[in-house]
Amino acid sequence: MQHAGNLLAPDPELASHYAREFYGRRQESVRLWVVPRAAIRDVDDPDLLQPPLDRSFKKPVGYSAEIKRKLAAARARVAGEQP
Amino acid sequence: MNDSAHVEAFYRHVASGGKVDVGEWMPDDYRTAVRRFVEMHANSELMGVLPEREWILRAPTLKRKLALTAKVQDEVGHAQLLYRVAEDLGKPREAMLADLLAGRTKFHNVFHYPTRSWADVGIIAWLVDAAAIVAQQALRESSYAPYARTMKKICWEESVHIMHGRDVVLTMVNGTSEQRAMVQEALNRWWGPLMQMHGPPTEPAKDRDLAWRIKNKDNDTLRQEFLSTYVPRIREIGLELPDPELRQDPGSGRWHYTEPDWKELYAVVTGHGPKSQERLAFRRLNYEQTRWVRETVLSEPKVAA
Repeated sequence: MQHAGNLLAPDPELASHYAREFYGRRQESVRLWVVPRAAIRDVDDPDLLQPPLDRSFKKPVGYSAEIKRKLAAARARVAGEQP
Repeated sequence: MNDSAHVEAFYRHVASGGKVDVGEWMPDDYRTAVRRFVEMHANSELMGVLPEREWILRAPTLKRKLALTAKVQDEVGHAQLLYRVAEDLGKPREAMLADLLAGRTKFHNVFHYPTRSWADVGIIAWLVDAAAIVAQQALRESSYAPYARTMKKICWEESVHIMHGRDVVLTMVNGTSEQRAMVQEALNRWWGPLMQMHGPPTEPAKDRDLAWRIKNKDNDTLRQEFLSTYVPRIREIGLELPDPELRQDPGSGRWHYTEPDWKELYAVVTGHGPKSQERLAFRRLNYEQTRWVRETVLSEPKVAA
């Protein structure tokens, strides 16, 4: 199952019909799950999903790309703040 | 075997870049000088874990908690390596620990100060470790070969600590204005001790550690190197240095700055820093609580009846 997108509908039955129109009209789907947004729980904590058990936290490879990216962002912010 | 011809030949050897290895003959003065130097370094690694250890249980993410734990482990490992080097020069480990805990020997100034926020952890791991590595990279050329070899391993591990520290600081400065303010405030407090860390300028002619190449760069040179590398890196991310006199001479490249407070440095390293006594007391307590482990491991095996 993949996230296809979202839609706005006044009730669950119409939501199902709209979903078929948007995400199944050309037989591109074999199954659709249509849920109210409020029913979705978003679990995105990296500590839970991707704990650093590869020990990258004690190797240069665990930091080099991150530092490069964050340094570029910090420099851009400072440049943007110049009068 | 301390006859003056032998001694003079030795000093010519080390002054011209010659190395001395463990077990080789050396004059008593040289042996003592190296041992004291390495002992203070070992003490500093052991005491240096305490400021950061305070934050293991308060780290903001699991990755940071693991990184801090690994860093503390590394530093204690460095202390063990360095006590080993110093022991070979004639002072037993127990005596070195006893002297440290009794306040008779010193450890570096920066480890006598408190940490007040998570930003302190980033500043310490980045800039305090950076200042230390400037000195430690030079020590890889020490005339005393066992110390030089140990420094190569220590420098490699410290380089990862610095990356970790820089990542913590960058994460915060890229965050909210409150996080940026927290980092700036921490930097303002740590800048003084950082500038004092390499010690006051010494007269090369009177500095035996320098003459005998136990260390190869004088304090002033180390501080200049630190400033040249790190002031630009601090400023480029929008942080300010709290010294209005800090500037680099465009011609010579030499940094000018407000003279560090050498009285503060002396008071701190002689045990009068804000956290000196509390941290030594913790070490004493820890030493007592782990006595049973030492006695068990080091005791003579008992024959079962």
